[in-house]
Amino acid sequence: MTHQAVTRGGQTSLAPQHATPRIRVKGLGKRYGALEVFRNIDFEVGEREILAVVGPSGCGKTTLLRCVDGLLPHDAGEIWVGSERISEPIAGVAMVFQHFGLFPWKTVFENVAYGLRMAGASRSEIERKVPDFIKMVGLAGFEQAYPYQMSGGMQQRCGLARALALEPSVLLMDEPFAAVDAQTREILQFELLRIWEQRPTAMIFVTHSIEEAVLLGHRVIVLKGRPSTIHETITIDLPHPRTRATLREPRFAELRERVWSTLMHEAREAEFQLER
Amino acid sequence: MSETAIPALASTARTTRTIAHGTLVPRLLAGLTIALAWEIVVRAFAPAYVAKPTTVLTAIPRVVVDPAFLDATAITLTAVAEGLAAALVAGTAIGLMMGRSLVIERILRHYINGFYAMPMIIVLPLFSLWFGYSGAARIATIIFAAIFSIIVNVADGARSVPREYLEVARSFRSTPMRVMTDIVLPAATPYLLAGFRLAAGRALIGAVVSEFFLSVGGLGYFILYNSRSYHHNEAFVGVLLLAAFGVGFEVLVQEATRRFMPWYRRDEKS
Repeated sequence: MTHQAVTRGGQTSLAPQHATPRIRVKGLGKRYGALEVFRNIDFEVGEREILAVVGPSGCGKTTLLRCVDGLLPHDAGEIWVGSERISEPIAGVAMVFQHFGLFPWKTVFENVAYGLRMAGASRSEIERKVPDFIKMVGLAGFEQAYPYQMSGGMQQRCGLARALALEPSVLLMDEPFAAVDAQTREILQFELLRIWEQRPTAMIFVTHSIEEAVLLGHRVIVLKGRPSTIHETITIDLPHPRTRATLREPRFAELRERVWSTLMHEAREAEFQLER
Repeated sequence: MSETAIPALASTARTTRTIAHGTLVPRLLAGLTIALAWEIVVRAFAPAYVAKPTTVLTAIPRVVVDPAFLDATAITLTAVAEGLAAALVAGTAIGLMMGRSLVIERILRHYINGFYAMPMIIVLPLFSLWFGYSGAARIATIIFAAIFSIIVNVADGARSVPREYLEVARSFRSTPMRVMTDIVLPAATPYLLAGFRLAAGRALIGAVVSEFFLSVGGLGYFILYNSRSYHHNEAFVGVLLLAAFGVGFEVLVQEATRRFMPWYRRDEKS
């Protein structure tokens, strides 16, 4: 995609387009030996939709995301991205990892270029694209820095740029802001929204933060039970673009409470299960 | 900006230098104490031809311009460099395969550990038969001495690559070959360096021991010849040079690590 396309994408992304699903998950099931993690998972994600996934710790959110990426095999059902059935990682899908997954021996530039290099991009393409994406996530000037020299927030910006650089049609976010401090987390949430407005994609955003799920998601699915199933799908009818002002809207509080009450029962159950 | 990033590096370097500076006097004192004890013991109890620091020192200017000594040093160093290079390349390749393939690891493990534990002096009679009393036997001994510590360490390093890195590589659709070169090898580099440092020491020993045994020219043979002809001071110049190689190599590896792998040992505060 050229730079022009970025701007144009930004102007046209007014509402999610549910009409053409980018991701289709049907009857998905996964088990680790005797432990059944989840079953009967059905959902679709539109081409320009953020689907947030919440659930208590250990409910298999991350496992679900890894299955969609093709990193883990699934035991039942189907996952489709466009016209491709997922059994291993495919082009056009990029993942952002909870612990950033940056390579400590690579500079910011090389980390961001990693996906492009693996995709066989030419040197000139890398030289041209990588600085753009580094700039997009606000890391301009840090091209030659190593991960250990940066804060967690900066490292995750780098992880995000690495995924974005592939210009994927699907972004998979595995609790990407869970490992950074609260203020940084908030900043990154709005950065992500800004970037998504610029170039909307299908996105699955796994998080244990209800607030984050409601702020980012067009819909929120709540995983529940053992094995987990989709307990509820909540449509977040907050207008886009969402900003800090969104957090103060009564509707935001309402939806947050709604997700919270759905989840709380489960969270309590999970907690007691651990204590036993 | 990168200006904020660089001081982190600079300050580590500064700390290291300060400590090196602060311990300079005690380090010199330790060396002087050893030399003094040596001098006193030899003067008090040993015959006149036994080397002591003062006589070794006076021998140095003579020996370091002696063509025989220079040739011997060059021969041994070249052999060590060649042997180490071969051991490094082959050892890294075998180590990476062992570390990433359970089958290869199972097939080779006991043999590698067996050879690793085997004193190199044991194989010298065989090597001398196979390769003759020649430089080839010396190279073979050096490789034998060096390669197993590299294999064992690289295999360890390749085995302990964080799963997260491998998962990222897979998610970004890296080929198995590129996973090896882009992820496993750099992640195992600290282990590789540890193995290489051990290997360098063992390679020097291998070179000297093989020269003793095979009577082929080199620094080891220089030391042997001079000590047998009562030129103990000259022999000791060679011994000290070997010791200096050991120290020099360590410094070289550390400096190279700091320069080319700034990301490594970042947590070390010394």
